[in-house]
Amino acid sequence: MTSPPTGEDAGPRPHGPGGPPAAARDLPHDPPGGARVTPPSTPQDAPAPGPARRAARLLPGLVVGAVTLALPAVLDDSALTVYIFLGLAAMVTVGVSLLMGYAGQVSLGQGAFYAVGGYTAGILAVRGGPPIAGLLAAPVVAAAFAVVVGVPLLRLRGHHLAFATLAMQLIVLSLAGRLAITGGDIGLQAIPPFGWGSFELTGAVGYAYLTWGGVALVMLVTRNVIVSRPGRALRALATSETAAASSGVPVGRYKLVVFALSAAFAGLAGGIYAYYTGYVAPSSFPVLLSIEYIVMAVVGGLGTVWGAVVGAAAITLLVQALNLIGTAPGMPSYAPSVLSYAVYAVVLITVVLFLPRGLFPAAVARLRRAPRP
Amino acid sequence: MRELLTYVVNGLAVGCGFALIAAGLVAVHRVTGVVNFAQGMFAVVAGLSASWLLGTGLPHGLSEGAAVLVAAVAGLLTGLLAIGRRGTTPQSALIVTLGVGVLAYAVEIVVWGDQPRSFPGLPGSVSVAGVGVQSQHLLVIAATAVTFALLTTFFGRTYLGKALTACASNPYAARVIGIDVTRMGLLAFVLGGLLGGVAGVLVTPLRPISFDTDVTLIVNGFAAAVFGSLGRAGLALVGALLLGLAESLAAGYGYAAYQLEIALGLMLVIMVVQSTRRTSVLEEPA
Repeated sequence: MTSPPTGEDAGPRPHGPGGPPAAARDLPHDPPGGARVTPPSTPQDAPAPGPARRAARLLPGLVVGAVTLALPAVLDDSALTVYIFLGLAAMVTVGVSLLMGYAGQVSLGQGAFYAVGGYTAGILAVRGGPPIAGLLAAPVVAAAFAVVVGVPLLRLRGHHLAFATLAMQLIVLSLAGRLAITGGDIGLQAIPPFGWGSFELTGAVGYAYLTWGGVALVMLVTRNVIVSRPGRALRALATSETAAASSGVPVGRYKLVVFALSAAFAGLAGGIYAYYTGYVAPSSFPVLLSIEYIVMAVVGGLGTVWGAVVGAAAITLLVQALNLIGTAPGMPSYAPSVLSYAVYAVVLITVVLFLPRGLFPAAVARLRRAPRP
Repeated sequence: MRELLTYVVNGLAVGCGFALIAAGLVAVHRVTGVVNFAQGMFAVVAGLSASWLLGTGLPHGLSEGAAVLVAAVAGLLTGLLAIGRRGTTPQSALIVTLGVGVLAYAVEIVVWGDQPRSFPGLPGSVSVAGVGVQSQHLLVIAATAVTFALLTTFFGRTYLGKALTACASNPYAARVIGIDVTRMGLLAFVLGGLLGGVAGVLVTPLRPISFDTDVTLIVNGFAAAVFGSLGRAGLALVGALLLGLAESLAAGYGYAAYQLEIALGLMLVIMVVQSTRRTSVLEEPA
């Protein structure tokens, strides 16, 4: 993960007026110039040296932010739907990326937390609870659920954990299809729209802002986790749990917290989904959904916050474009699903085999290398 | 008492299907360290091909045999993608096989459509101890017994089988004495494809199969394989039979709706119990 240019940034350059960068300050036993002890694994956490460079670094973020805010005003309704689903997928994918890339845990059951969030918001809403409570409860309940299942499951590693989380999702779906409170196979219908007081959020534009507000929140939380001391501990335990534990990292607790955090992200996305579509059923959360999130996270580059969003955007837009082709007149009725399956598969296999760092980090590394003399 | 026996035979037959899938998982995992998520897909491909070949008028036996070969080819292709490229870690290979499983969805829908398919198995029933038992159930049990016997002979008595075992126990030493480890890995994938294919053609007459049945098959097969810690086919067989019995008895005594939960719950409990007995040091890559 250390491309030559990033290494130069972190190395001998004198620190700014604020003393050693924040990343080095809270490590008590670091030698002077300790920034090198934690080699930046992503472009974001490289220390920003001067104000000019800092501005240059912030600029792309500001542009992206402005475009994100401006888009809902110009998109038409069908494009807005795609935009909202893209945001929801990005929210979940940031969590998956954090869990897989930083904590090194594979979850094939992220769709289950999405479902728990959706059902939580849905159940509260159809029973007349205030929508804002539903939206807050969705991530909280999903995280609590993750803690409950995480205590036994996170003892497992690698492929065992992957299958255990997949099993968890199958159990959740099967139960949701049976219980009365979740509406059985038919699911919950006519969930009232989101709102507060007498105001009701009915237009897609409002949901777009709500969704992308959520994405911003999720990204901010993740970024802060990554650059904090626990973030470095997570990176350590992803490499070797034994080594991390012997240097004092509370391995079990940290894994559980990240698992719960990624579940909370998925739960929030699920809650917004329930309010936006007004409908949740077991068939809204197929196993393939969890695989989709893995594809998005892997494509964007595991363990990068922006990469997760890029991956979610790339895959959502690609599948959307193929959907247009698949539903074109003259195509067989199965074309859309076949095309999307094929795309997920081909993209996933190609990226894992040939771009293991992901699309976003690879592109960033190339961009940085280019302008240097 | 009478129905208990029926449930038991039914459960054993279903369990045999899982056992064959599990055996394929074990074969691949032992030799390559990869958990092959596409293992359930081999069974689906074989089941669908067999039903299609029978539809074209090919006789029984020939159709099933050809279907198993198709599954073996699918196994080889999966292996080429998963371990063909040097330096693919088992974790990445798991994700690649996940991708292969999804890719197979696309192919299966194009070739065979998205509706469940089945084909008639062995007709009629036999009376065992005064209880009527479907012949197909007995066929499944017998075929599984033969397959496991062949597997044991293959691994224990043939040069190729011993070479595979050598790769499983120490890939480096195997390479030193001139065994091509990658080729053996591919062979393990072909074996996995064959075993999955046998499972597919045997089970399809019992339960109609469609392109997305592979998730249920792989999860149950993995549960059984976990019983043998993913390395011992004999214990996996025991696990699969227990799993099949548990599901069948649950279904027979009125908990049909909870079949899946029972199987998955069992798997989770076994995995968590196993994990408490192992230290993490043993599992970390050197």
